[in-house]
Amino acid sequence: MTDSSGNAGPLEVLLIEDSPGDVRLTREALKDAKVHIHLNVVSDGVEAMAFLERQGEFSNAPRPDLILLDLNLPKKDGREVLKDIKESATLGNIPVVILTMSASEVDILKSYRLHANCYITKPVNLDGFLKVVQSIDSFWLSVVKLPRERR
Amino acid sequence: MRLPLVRKIQFGFSAVLAVLLVVGSVAYRDLLASAHSERWVQHTHEVLEHLATLQSAIPNIETGYRGRALTGAETSQSSRASLALVEHEEMTLRALTVDNPGQQRRLATLAALMEQTIRLDETLVRLRQAGGPKAAAELIQTGQGERILQQSRAVVSDMQVEERGLLLQRGADAERRRRQTQAALIFGSVAGLLIATLAAWRVQREFSRRGRAERASLESEERFRVVLAGVQDYAIFTLDPHGTVISWNTGAERIKGYKAAEIIGQNFSCFYPQEDIDQGIPQEALRTAAANGKSATECWRVRKDGSRFWASLLITAARDASGNLVGFSEISRDMSERQETEAKYRGLLEAAPDAMIVVNQAGKIVLLNLQAEKQFGYHRDELLGQEIRNIIPEGFAERLIADGTRTAAEALAQQIGTGIELSGHRKDGGDFPIEIMLSPLKNAEGILVTAAIRDISVRKDAEKHLLKTVGELKRSNEELQQFAYVASHDLQEPLRMVASYTQLLAKRYTGRLDPDADEYIAYAVDGCNRMQALIQDLLTYSRAGTDTRSRREISSEDALREALTNLRATIKESGAVVTHDSLPAITMDDTQLVQVFQNLVGNAVKYRSPEIPRVHVTATKNAGNECVFAVRDNGVGIDPRYFERIFILFQRLHGRNEFTGTGIGLAICKKIVERLGGRIWVESQPAKGSTFYFALPQGEVP
Repeated sequence: MTDSSGNAGPLEVLLIEDSPGDVRLTREALKDAKVHIHLNVVSDGVEAMAFLERQGEFSNAPRPDLILLDLNLPKKDGREVLKDIKESATLGNIPVVILTMSASEVDILKSYRLHANCYITKPVNLDGFLKVVQSIDSFWLSVVKLPRERR
Repeated sequence: MRLPLVRKIQFGFSAVLAVLLVVGSVAYRDLLASAHSERWVQHTHEVLEHLATLQSAIPNIETGYRGRALTGAETSQSSRASLALVEHEEMTLRALTVDNPGQQRRLATLAALMEQTIRLDETLVRLRQAGGPKAAAELIQTGQGERILQQSRAVVSDMQVEERGLLLQRGADAERRRRQTQAALIFGSVAGLLIATLAAWRVQREFSRRGRAERASLESEERFRVVLAGVQDYAIFTLDPHGTVISWNTGAERIKGYKAAEIIGQNFSCFYPQEDIDQGIPQEALRTAAANGKSATECWRVRKDGSRFWASLLITAARDASGNLVGFSEISRDMSERQETEAKYRGLLEAAPDAMIVVNQAGKIVLLNLQAEKQFGYHRDELLGQEIRNIIPEGFAERLIADGTRTAAEALAQQIGTGIELSGHRKDGGDFPIEIMLSPLKNAEGILVTAAIRDISVRKDAEKHLLKTVGELKRSNEELQQFAYVASHDLQEPLRMVASYTQLLAKRYTGRLDPDADEYIAYAVDGCNRMQALIQDLLTYSRAGTDTRSRREISSEDALREALTNLRATIKESGAVVTHDSLPAITMDDTQLVQVFQNLVGNAVKYRSPEIPRVHVTATKNAGNECVFAVRDNGVGIDPRYFERIFILFQRLHGRNEFTGTGIGLAICKKIVERLGGRIWVESQPAKGSTFYFALPQGEVP
């Protein structure tokens, strides 16, 4: 367990997002990040679980320090992914930030019940989006001490 | 004495009369006898008077006799007069005492003595004339004349004694008769008086006894009369033994049409049709009643106006205590009224829009109407007397049957007033849904059940159709809801891309391209922004008021405070003053009320006039148990012709450069309020401010 600020390697962030536009926007937003972030991207739930469990092509995938999860995903829904992560003994302690278009109370409540660490509605305009990503950066990657496992 | 009063009175007076007759006749007889006695007494007195005269005349004869003997004179005038007087008296007495033989004999003796006297006198006269005074004296000295006169006087004295005796006897006799008459009169009067008094006392006592009895019977009779007089349904009247009407009640007046004053005194035969009168039926009825005590018949009767009605009547003979017929009473009823009632009932049955079937407790049909024939496809005759089971196979007959736990009446009572849905069976074999309503009908045969049977096929179809339509509506509504949500949500995703990248473009490339490009990009960004705002609002609108689960009692004041907190930036920026009265607690979802307040107060501040915005919130309860909130402002006001339009989604009254917004706020308010069963409206005039009202029903709301 080490402090992120004292960590020499880049922060591994897994973005589970099916929209390339959002992926690009996220990348754009993280360009100005204070810490060095390595953004891993998967586009559906099945792929996400394969990445996390280092199966198939992801056998060498890094263990993420933070997961950014969209709820509406093809193949395997974001809610199921969240559930699987939180029920897994090895993955359960990775912080998951829900990043979604849905502002529905039901979704929010359900996500927190599934032990999402943070729920963020994607702002509809660019500035908002940029701010959100940057605040994730500063809050989760700079302020909060994250549990880390030696790779 | 059980004799009637009149007899008693007759008897008493007869007795008095008899006594008076006896007394009168006795008195009259005594009076006659008394008068007779008096006459005899009178007669005796007369006789005595004549005897006295005679007695006094005799000495005169003697004196004359002596004188002549002395003087020798011829028989004197006085002597002759005396003799004539004596003779006259003697004659009178002879007439008077003609009924008394003793006196007559004495009078004869006297007459003989007088004859001797006269002859002696003549002898004396001759002697004196022949022999001189001496011869005469010698003759006188023989005393012959004196003896004769003495004998005469003795005879007269005897007669006087006799008459005096008679007088005494006759006076006593008259006195006795007088006393007898007096006694008879006194006795008769006293007896008459006694009898009359007794009779008067008896009569008086009888009258007072009868009076009491009569008063008592009058009282009960009066009560009875009042009851009878009031009877409406029956004609009740009384007749004398000849059939003349004596009394008349209200029912009789109503049924027969005569007023009491018109008919009392008339013969009751006028109630009969002419042909019956000709056959002597009215008298026959009275005869039967008199003979048997009563006569009950049904026959035609005639009203005053000549119309006939079928009457049921009972004539009863009335007799007094001694069994004498004193009259009759008649109780009659207009049977056509009952028939009319039946006809009315039948009319009612036929006029009913539903099939009406009357069933007895055995489950047999006793009456039905045309609708029932039509509904079940039978002819009336095919159903009368048949089991109700034939046309309503289940659920009807069972409901009428008594069992261990309930009587038939109770079984029926349980069904009254509730519609029972059953199935009807037509003659052609088809079944159709029915609803029956049962009601009891009491009659002489027991309880009948009237069943109103309604063919509810149409209603059932309509119900089905309605349910289907409601289902469809619900589904389409849900789909619409879903569509609005999904559309806005899914539209938002690509839009966000467009917006984000045009914005990124603007961010990264403004000033690096030419001015036209900058302008184009600016319009694209603006369009995106507005599009996003609309979609956001649409989402909000589609969600508004959908969640009614969290309704509870909340403080509307707290809701307003929260709305004001949400609006604090706007309020602060505009310098608005928002005030409120005390607001009630109401039952609803607090976030929804916050939303409504926020929109209304937000609008009030937003559409402000140049003055400082002043907003005042009040709440009152109205008669319809609604809580009416009012949000009053001093803003720009609204032209009344837009009152409806402002509540429509995305309808705006102002240009975008005047006031911002999509026109969603009032539409959301309207949706929320109406979802709660309330109403929302506005009262306003341009430049004079607006007041927005919303009324929320209190109590149970669906």
